[in-house]
Amino acid sequence: MSTALEVSRARLRLEPKERASLTARIVVPVASVLTATLGGAVVLAIDGHSPLEAYVELFQSAFGGRNPLVRTLLLSTPLVFTALAAAVSFRMRIWNIGGDGQLMMGAIAASGVAIALPRSPFWVLIPAILVAGIVGGMLWAGIGAGLKVFLSTDEVISTLMLTFIATHFMEYLIFGSFSYWRDPESVAYATGKPIPEVAELPRFWGRLHVGFLIAVLAAVLVWWVLKSSRWGYETKVIGDSPTAGRYAGMSVSRNIIAVLCVSGALAGLGGAVEVAGVNHTLQPTALETGVGFTGIIAASMARLHPLMLVPVAVFLSGLVSSGTALQQMGIPIDIVLLLQGLVLLFVAAGEFFLRYRVTLVARRGRR
Amino acid sequence: MNDTVLILSLASMIAAGTPMLLAATGEILAERSGVMNLGIEGMMLISAASGFWVTSETESLALGMLVGILAATLLATVHALLAVSLRVSQIISGLALVIIGTGMSGFLGDATTPKLTGRPPGARFSSVFPEGITGLPVVGPIVFDHDVVVYLSWVIVAVASYFLFRTRPGLSLWAVGDDPATADAAGIPVVAIRYGATLLGGALAGMAGAYLSIQILGTWQDSLTAGLGWIAFCLVIFSGWRPWRAMVAAYVFGALTTLGFTFQIVGFGVPTDFLAMLPFIMTILVLAVISSRPEAARRLGAPAALGRPFVRESR
Repeated sequence: MSTALEVSRARLRLEPKERASLTARIVVPVASVLTATLGGAVVLAIDGHSPLEAYVELFQSAFGGRNPLVRTLLLSTPLVFTALAAAVSFRMRIWNIGGDGQLMMGAIAASGVAIALPRSPFWVLIPAILVAGIVGGMLWAGIGAGLKVFLSTDEVISTLMLTFIATHFMEYLIFGSFSYWRDPESVAYATGKPIPEVAELPRFWGRLHVGFLIAVLAAVLVWWVLKSSRWGYETKVIGDSPTAGRYAGMSVSRNIIAVLCVSGALAGLGGAVEVAGVNHTLQPTALETGVGFTGIIAASMARLHPLMLVPVAVFLSGLVSSGTALQQMGIPIDIVLLLQGLVLLFVAAGEFFLRYRVTLVARRGRR
Repeated sequence: MNDTVLILSLASMIAAGTPMLLAATGEILAERSGVMNLGIEGMMLISAASGFWVTSETESLALGMLVGILAATLLATVHALLAVSLRVSQIISGLALVIIGTGMSGFLGDATTPKLTGRPPGARFSSVFPEGITGLPVVGPIVFDHDVVVYLSWVIVAVASYFLFRTRPGLSLWAVGDDPATADAAGIPVVAIRYGATLLGGALAGMAGAYLSIQILGTWQDSLTAGLGWIAFCLVIFSGWRPWRAMVAAYVFGALTTLGFTFQIVGFGVPTDFLAMLPFIMTILVLAVISSRPEAARRLGAPAALGRPFVRESR
């Protein structure tokens, strides 16, 4: 009997694995990224570019030397915040996909506070800005939390819708009206009021601002809290089984509210850091890059590990920051988005092989 | 309000609502089978770019639409593969589609020579009916002065409704989305139906995207869908997973996009940003009302197993 026939008589059997081996946990993601790279190479080759040259340039312009690295780390800063926001909530299987909206509301609140306090010293102003960002993001995610707890509204949809509402609200503030946030002198091209100079985050190592350090610090803090606090434990248990959590006397509703508020606070802090560190005003176009969605990708690629998501965010930002250099080689800039998407796809698909043991078994019965 | 302005805006709201209607009908089929596809925006973009490209090269509308449909169906296949077979979170997989679709379409728009931006569409659909009929007062512009895709969308809505509520395979699809384990026990091929519905959803999103770039806008630019895919996603909830209601809602939302201009013409000031928010606010409200009462959700038609992968082993 031929092999083909044998195969047609066989079928795939899937067994869930308790825990993937360490080798598998290293080999599978690496293989996934390599496959994505290969996919990108095919696209590049079809478009008539040398994939090798492009990838060397990509690496050089993203990580080769201080200036490229600083540019990449600057881009990764908001991404670390939104990835943390996703990781915290996804861990409890609360799908906050509205990181973008929470980041925008954080930025709106932060820039509002900064404009309102023009003559304060920096040690008052900068903490005030950061707190305002936290509160803005928290309130916006809090709407989703309230809807979820009191009306059992699916948070996937509500947080997503709230993002679009925040986007239009922010555009209204700058482009659609002469609001408190808009620079009244900008008529032809609308811009936001600049924040006071003392409110700008201090820079180090060239153009890098301390916001990056705040992001790393936040990641460590989140990791430590989730790992060692009672709250971190409760959210993990409820994520695995809400019923088990309830029987153990945990309040599911209270934890949903807490998780979404922390998640929104992290994204909102990211918005405040962008305002104080990079844009120095409320600049809608700079905040509409879909960094919340990319954060979800970074978090899921890092398997929701708060520390792991930092290097993942830096890697994904490296792809984006190399875009301009690739464009100078005549490669369409959107290749970086395409690569990001491919990496995500293959990493997500690879996850399957970590969770299931796939075996080929003979079909029983009929001979 | 001036009558001609009203008639013209009613006519243009039908055109403006058609891409949303097509994409939403596709998503209704997918979601009814239990597969939520957040990637509509990405599927529409890839089909808008590829369809526009082919039509501007070949001057063939049929070829452009076909390539657009195929491109989006291909992306939907990726989603089905990940979400149905590999049991990746449907949210993650759907968002990946958005990113890939945006990237691919932007890449294509830049990589062609000359670039897609600024190219003429190559061909446009014209009205189906002769001038004698389209020139009729009131009903002429509103009902008869449309191209073939608009009428096709009506047929698709009718067929989809009939299929879902009056045929056996349609009921099977419904069963798969409500309770896959029971459907599986009854011998309904769960995986095959979910694949079929997801791919059909992709095809319709593809038709929507290609129609948008070739006909409605008649031009290509980066991210030209500008959130229409997300509004289509809202429409599905808004319509209670029913194609007929999606049609009404699509035209209402279509009116919102054209209303801004009309308001400006007649000098009635509502900030366009607030009009643009309305679909999203209304979707949250509708969802809040139906989800607060489970029996209301059932009556409305929310698929009970939406977003949940089917794992036979863990039944």
